[in-house]
Amino acid sequence: MTLLKLKRLRTCFPTRDGLVKAVNTVDLEIGANEILGLIGETGCGKSILGMSIMRLLQPSTRIEGEIIYKGQDLLKLSEAEMRKIRGKEIAMILQNPATALNPVLTVGDQIAEAIWLHQTMTKREAREKAIEVLRSVKIPSPEKMANECPHKFSGGMKERAMIAIGLACNPALIIADEPTRGLDASTKEQIIKLMKEVTEEKSMLFITHDLDAAAEICDTVAVMYAGELVECAKTGDLFGKPLHPYTMGLLDSLPCRGLKPIRGMSPSLIDYPSGCRFHPRCDYASAICEKKHPEMVKVEDRHYVRCFMYL
Amino acid sequence: MHQITKIAGYVTIILAVISFNFFLPRFMPGDPLSFLTGAPGMDMPIVLDEATRAKLLAYYGLDKPLLQQFADYMIKLMHGDLGWSTYYNAPVSSILAGRLKWTLLLIGTSTLLYIALGIVLGAISAWNRGGKSDVGLLLLLLSVGSFPPFFLGMLLIILFGVKLNLFPVFGAQSPFMAYSSPVEEAMDILHHLILPATTLVITHIGGVYLLMRNSMLNVIGEDYILTARAKGLAEWYILRKHAMKNALLPITTMIALRVGFMISGTILVETVFAYPGVGMLLFDAVMYRDYPLLQGAFLIITLVIIAANFVADMVYLRLDPRLRHD
Amino acid sequence: MTEKTIELTDLRRLWDTYSEKRIGVIGLVIMLVFIVMAVFAPYIAPHDPYELYNPMEPPGPDHLLGTNDIGQDILSELIYGARVSLFIAFFVSIVSGLIGTILGLLSGYYEHVGFFIMRIVDAFLAIPRLPLIILIAAFMRPSIWNLVIIFTILGWPITTRIIRSEVLSLRTRNYVEAARMLGAPDSYIMIKHILPNVFPLLVVRLVVEASHVILAESSLSFLGLGDPTAKSWGMILHYAFMYPTIYISDVWKWWMLPPGLCIVLTILSLMFIGYALEELVNPRLRGMTQV
Repeated sequence: MTLLKLKRLRTCFPTRDGLVKAVNTVDLEIGANEILGLIGETGCGKSILGMSIMRLLQPSTRIEGEIIYKGQDLLKLSEAEMRKIRGKEIAMILQNPATALNPVLTVGDQIAEAIWLHQTMTKREAREKAIEVLRSVKIPSPEKMANECPHKFSGGMKERAMIAIGLACNPALIIADEPTRGLDASTKEQIIKLMKEVTEEKSMLFITHDLDAAAEICDTVAVMYAGELVECAKTGDLFGKPLHPYTMGLLDSLPCRGLKPIRGMSPSLIDYPSGCRFHPRCDYASAICEKKHPEMVKVEDRHYVRCFMYL
Repeated sequence: MHQITKIAGYVTIILAVISFNFFLPRFMPGDPLSFLTGAPGMDMPIVLDEATRAKLLAYYGLDKPLLQQFADYMIKLMHGDLGWSTYYNAPVSSILAGRLKWTLLLIGTSTLLYIALGIVLGAISAWNRGGKSDVGLLLLLLSVGSFPPFFLGMLLIILFGVKLNLFPVFGAQSPFMAYSSPVEEAMDILHHLILPATTLVITHIGGVYLLMRNSMLNVIGEDYILTARAKGLAEWYILRKHAMKNALLPITTMIALRVGFMISGTILVETVFAYPGVGMLLFDAVMYRDYPLLQGAFLIITLVIIAANFVADMVYLRLDPRLRHD
Repeated sequence: MTEKTIELTDLRRLWDTYSEKRIGVIGLVIMLVFIVMAVFAPYIAPHDPYELYNPMEPPGPDHLLGTNDIGQDILSELIYGARVSLFIAFFVSIVSGLIGTILGLLSGYYEHVGFFIMRIVDAFLAIPRLPLIILIAAFMRPSIWNLVIIFTILGWPITTRIIRSEVLSLRTRNYVEAARMLGAPDSYIMIKHILPNVFPLLVVRLVVEASHVILAESSLSFLGLGDPTAKSWGMILHYAFMYPTIYISDVWKWWMLPPGLCIVLTILSLMFIGYALEELVNPRLRGMTQV
């Protein structure tokens, strides 16, 4: 059962230096109860992809294609209708909880306002529900902490509070943007365990550049490079036998595999290299890679890759 | 600790103002009395009778050593003795006491109005940045803000006082009026207050508006606004609940400093509208070269402003949760 | 490290960015008109502003804006008034800007000096400006130079504070640290590395200060504390205000309105220029609003 389906999604926005083509013709599906990992280097457009689904980007941004959620195209909804989706149907956990929580409101209020908005209940009931949610993300003495402002929370606790805000209205889909960034190893472990637990009956788009975290939590993983998907497979397949040279490179750069970085730098989203966008950094590049842009091909059951080696 | 430093700072400033007030006439060329009796260059020499002259001499105590003079001055100040007004021939303190309430009324009402309006308009402007309402508000408020308060006051008098005959053009109350009820008196006072207060609000709203707009533009880019949007909250709710308070925090003290600038406008506006406050008194004191009155009025005005800044500082400490607990 | 050579192309680029802001160009044009008026006053003014004609004449071919209560030609007074107002404004803003910059550099660079200077600045800023100016002006003989001195004394603290906070943040930049480690003397670092970087901020500050001085000078003159021998716009308004029937007769249209509008337009043009410059030098605000 498909919950969310992206069809030829393109997102671009103007800047002083030129048009940023952050998301380029992305096709993607998330099934019910599926956790899909979206991995790639910083600046490859993966966060913009998440924001595009929520329609949270600047008004000057152009989003094309279709975002089909439960059969309706989110891009065709009015702003008011979209607000009913945000938080209630699809929730987003933004990166960097240190700045993503409002410093002058209590954490309890920041959770309760979403509940109160989307569900018919009194402010008092919303508040009790908020404490319940805080308890579910394992915040110690939630009754007390609900009345505190974020500066009383540690880094890990802030991340839990962000997750609590996401869970507040029991959404069907959660988009988590780099939830483990900047956390120390043991806190990261706990947060991943927590996220696994709370998304047992939900779908999640897990955006990260942390391959370990993705391997641990995701059912399926999509690899993004320079605004487009280059490989997509079940987690075991992708990490077990990666097909795209970029995915291989990413895996080789992990500490357990010898810390070999990919040579070169990731391209800017304004000017792409011709042909295959990865060819200037690719060890397997041949003449055709420079001239022609490869299409995504199905290599095995549910294993797709964008590379001429498999054509 | 933070509060102690603040309070120490205020005490120092008050002492500095008092000393300045004491030394200024004494360090000017000649002695204070030579100014009073018409120094060269003054367009209005003042003739003093012997009794007043004696009172003045006693107040300044110029025959004593400087330190002694200063000590006497401080002691008199503690007792509320601000000297003798040469023009009104009465103690400065009692004249000031009668005038202060009108100034506080004028400043109080217009300050509340222009701060509230400036904050709301600044927030709206920033929220619609680049849009028609933003550009319109920006141009309008920059333009009206460049009207000197005395000129604006004169224009309002001509338009609303003389041409349309809607409001009285001078004073704080109708002269020789017997009020039948306190409500009637209040209405009369309000009627007189509207034009001067409007003048002050218009001249000062631009500063607060710009501060709020800039602060708000910073806040809008913050991540927690995005979080609020991701919850599906309505724009107006986000503006009110999430953005306003965060935008206000960094500018509270700057707004408080503006209350200080405000007094300048008050002096001019009171003069134009012949509003019987301390500012008008300052103008009279200048016109009649009534130096003790001038210095007394200056001291009171300054102390009121310093008090206002102090209150603002304390409010700030209460507003910011990060400072409240520590 | 940072080689600071301003070339013609840089200025060209700067002007291009500036002229994107319509508001700034409008301000500049208004200011130029007033500057021309001030510089060429003797050639533009139809009469000597001190010459006495028939008092209280309404506007006519001989006196375009009529005459005042003692018979001086109001239009000529206005044109000469631009001299006094602009001279005081620019002179004070430059001199107090200079003092403020030096003290700001010193107090940002040397911590102990900074602490001491900032206490003085705090005291100055806590005291309301106009009452203080009135008090000092009342004790001094009113003359243009005395006004200049008073405004300068009161103008430097804000500049000092602004420059200081900028220096404090610049001081920790890598190139400054590097220069210090290489053993460059403090004066060299301040002039070569820090000064060029606070300069844009200073220019904005000068413009803002000039508008404050215009307002303060006209206020003081309006209260009758200006230089009685110098024709300034505030002084014209002072005499107009003291005239008993200024509101009820039509006199205000040519006696009160023109000097008032001159002050308004000057302040407005400075505010427009300042706003455009601020958007130019403050990257945080850049591109937010296209006015």
